[in-house]
Amino acid sequence: MNYELTTIVGLGSGYLALLFGIAFATERGLIPEKIVRHPIVYTLSLGVFASVWAYYTSIGNALRDGYGYLAQSIGISLVFLLSPLLLRPLLELTRTYQLSSLADLMAFRYRSPWAGTVTTLVILIGVTPLIALQIRAVADTAGILSPELSQASMAFGFCVIITLFSILFGTSRRGSRTQHDGLVMAIAFESLVKLVAFLAVGAFAIFGGFGGMEGLEQWLQDNPHLITSLKETNYLSSFHIMSLLFFTAAVAMPHMFYVTFNENNGQRALSYASWGLPLYFLLLSLPVLPILWAGLQSGSEVQVEYFPVVIGVAYDVPFFTVLAYLGGLSAASGLIIVITLALSNMCLNHLILPIYQPTAQHDIYRWLLWKRRVLITALIWSGFLFRYLPNQQISLQVIGTISFTAGLQFLPGIVAILYWPQANKKGFMSGLGAGVATWFIFLTLPLLTEGDTLSLVSLNWHEVAAFSLILNSLFFVVVSLRSTSTDEERSSADICTLDTIKRRKRSGLVAKTPNDFIKSLSKPLGDKTANREVSQALKDLDISHDDRRPYAMRLLRGRLEANLSGLLGPSIARELIDGYLPYSIVSQHGTSDLNVIENRIEAYRSNLSGMAADLDNLRRYHRQILLDLPLGVCSLSSDDEIIMWNRALEDFTKISSANVIGSQLADLPEPWLELLENFIRDDAEHSYKHSFDLNGHKKTVNLHKALIEKSSDLGSSHEGIIILIEDITEIETLEAGLSHSERLASIGRLAAGVAHEIGNPITGIACLAQTIRDEFEDNELQNLATQIIEQTNRTSKILQALVNFAHAGTNQTHYENEIVIIADCMEEARTLIFLDTKNKDLQLHIESDPQAKISGDSQRLLQVLLNLVSNARDASQADGEVSLQASVNNDQVRITVTDEGIGIPPIIRDRIFDPFFTTKEAGDGTGLGLSLVFSIVEDLKGDIDIISPANKATGTGTQVILRFPCYHGDMESVNDSMNQ
Amino acid sequence: MTVYIPRPMLILLMIIYVLFLLSVDWINQVDGAWYRPFLVGFLVVIVASWSHRKQDSDEL
Repeated sequence: MNYELTTIVGLGSGYLALLFGIAFATERGLIPEKIVRHPIVYTLSLGVFASVWAYYTSIGNALRDGYGYLAQSIGISLVFLLSPLLLRPLLELTRTYQLSSLADLMAFRYRSPWAGTVTTLVILIGVTPLIALQIRAVADTAGILSPELSQASMAFGFCVIITLFSILFGTSRRGSRTQHDGLVMAIAFESLVKLVAFLAVGAFAIFGGFGGMEGLEQWLQDNPHLITSLKETNYLSSFHIMSLLFFTAAVAMPHMFYVTFNENNGQRALSYASWGLPLYFLLLSLPVLPILWAGLQSGSEVQVEYFPVVIGVAYDVPFFTVLAYLGGLSAASGLIIVITLALSNMCLNHLILPIYQPTAQHDIYRWLLWKRRVLITALIWSGFLFRYLPNQQISLQVIGTISFTAGLQFLPGIVAILYWPQANKKGFMSGLGAGVATWFIFLTLPLLTEGDTLSLVSLNWHEVAAFSLILNSLFFVVVSLRSTSTDEERSSADICTLDTIKRRKRSGLVAKTPNDFIKSLSKPLGDKTANREVSQALKDLDISHDDRRPYAMRLLRGRLEANLSGLLGPSIARELIDGYLPYSIVSQHGTSDLNVIENRIEAYRSNLSGMAADLDNLRRYHRQILLDLPLGVCSLSSDDEIIMWNRALEDFTKISSANVIGSQLADLPEPWLELLENFIRDDAEHSYKHSFDLNGHKKTVNLHKALIEKSSDLGSSHEGIIILIEDITEIETLEAGLSHSERLASIGRLAAGVAHEIGNPITGIACLAQTIRDEFEDNELQNLATQIIEQTNRTSKILQALVNFAHAGTNQTHYENEIVIIADCMEEARTLIFLDTKNKDLQLHIESDPQAKISGDSQRLLQVLLNLVSNARDASQADGEVSLQASVNNDQVRITVTDEGIGIPPIIRDRIFDPFFTTKEAGDGTGLGLSLVFSIVEDLKGDIDIISPANKATGTGTQVILRFPCYHGDMESVNDSMNQ
Repeated sequence: MTVYIPRPMLILLMIIYVLFLLSVDWINQVDGAWYRPFLVGFLVVIVASWSHRKQDSDEL
């Protein structure tokens, strides 16, 4: 096999240039977002796990272990098939707290920067051989294709291009928190290339190598030892531990953690990957056996692992050799790019930042970016230098096994994160120490000290791996149980553990506003960075810059810690937040953060099933009852933080619950603060008819309170207080109106009695005057008598009007049915109006058509006119003009009362006929006038209209229009129509 | 300690376990086709895709 040097280099460079192109096009938005964010792209990018190990090493594994080579696919597939048990909760955790690597996760859960540092170191030592393995595979295959090509220079060139790519598309000023779409797209493309290449080479092996399935079957029958070795079950001894190795690697290996959690764009993508990735690995495992057998049949002397590259040339179709080479290049480059990116973040956060942190004068983002770039370069080139170590004859399989066994040591720590809250830092560190020591002494040391492959095999690596895991777990469990966890550890265990929804303590913060946050964080981060981080956290939480609620400030603190954790790692972030944004008082009792618990249950709701889901439904039902209660409900914690503010209270106070929940009672605006504070301080549990002023309107409420009993005996006497606020303003107004009307009625009865009593002597006087007029012939005496009679008539009329007015609107059920001459009625109204001294300056113009007559009760119509004129007078200036007109039009009598007053505001126009609605000062009006007018007009078969403003030009004045059926005929017809 | 496992996941776990028990001997029969493990693998993927599609409606 001898390819031109230029062909190999050209192919490799061309392929990597294509990768650059895809990543560049994605970053520039040339590829539609629908494609970039599609779950299939995410699933394919997870194919980065199928490195040179799956591509080349599995061929050798298949020869040695038979079906045992499937252990890798089974291990990784199981993690994804069972993603709800491990990956989903971890994804939620890493997204919420911005944990970008396994070291971040360990440091976060075990609350120790050392946990992160040790994790980073172990992974760094374990993974460097894996990087070297990729570089070696690329150089080896290039060497097989073109023997005159220097493998060292090929590896060198490959490393240069990969370094450039990682730096350009894997690092950005935004740090590790953002997704790198270009990178993901390029990795997904690589996964697709290696799958297609491998499947094509596999198909070629069957059809090109054996002439089809029958040929293959025939060849296998001729070589029965191959089938026998394939199905021998002696590989089962290492099969389980091998599967476990790859099961753990799916989370522990930095490249998988990075793509699975950091580049994930939603649970839906993970759901796709849960079956898509097992399918990918299944397809990738399928061609392994045909390629192996075709290679064996060809009699090639090349290392078994590199059969995919060999068979194309062996069967005279060089195209498949090139394809296989490109597939291998994809597998190697994808892994190196992602693994060095992930490792650079880990090294920065857990090895460099704990020792040296940039000062506030630095542009932190720029500083981090450059450090990350330097680290990526260092990591790739350390993999390159690894090839210069002795023992180059160690097989790819041994190197890979050592790497993955290092990752296995994190299995107990990872499982405990989700399922064992008692686990603590000491347990984790001692378990990891024991496991790693076993791994190093029995697996790695023999290799470094002139051991060779055989010595490793003689040590029986899978027994060492199992032993190290058992020792690790044993130390982990025993030390965790025998040592005590700190409060911090317990709190992070609560956050991480799936089934623990404990009541978290709530405390006040020294920083009270977002500006205080910026000021505090400016000291370590500098003004610019602090400003940017706080603004970003506020934006993430959708909280306003002016918010001062303690609850919002606690959320902001948590979000800042998470965001800084994505930038600087969880240990440094926690150190910064604890140091510069401390709690003022740590409450000891009764202040569990109910709002946070509630948010958490809401977020995890879909994870609840069975009785937990029933309990959640019950909780929601009870909460809904309180929220929808037509009474205002406000509940306060024992330290006066507002926990609940229901809808009725929102409507009544016009304060939205989103703005008030989580704030202190003292932050409430007046008059609510005074109202609630006084009531809470008061010993009484109920306060009835409590009146206060709200925006110039009198409001009346009934208040009730109850203490929320504490569930445990510790600490304060109660857990909080619940207050019910009942708005009784309308009932109160109604009651006041009724009692006013009752008073009016009694005054009316009094007036009627008085009028009756005065009426008798007046009648006597009138009789005597008539006698004098008729009996005496003296003209002067007759004149005097006539005047007395006129005056007594007038007095009688006034008294009669008074009596009628007093009777109207009371319980009188019998009304007169007579012909009412509107002009007379208007005159009578004038007489009565001017009796009131308030009306002495009023200019009342009366104009009536003599034909204007209606049938009905004149006294009731009089009452209507009096009320309307009286309202018109009240709305007008002291010397205002009011006109009263009556006309006949189309069998209708139209009466208008027009004033030049201020008019009726549109906002109250709909309510003016409501009983007890008044705009007058208390005591000046009952609010019954217009309502009475309305009902009387209806009784008289008329209708009423109001035009305001009456004068459109000046925007003033009101005109009330009454329309009644006109009377034409005799009284009988009137009676008939009334009866109908 | 209670761990909440979605029902489709339980069914999937059960199917994988039963398939494992039933298929080991079938796969290792001397005269059996070499691609039998892959048939079992495809079956598991089909069941898994059903089980995870059920969970999509359960989006957090």
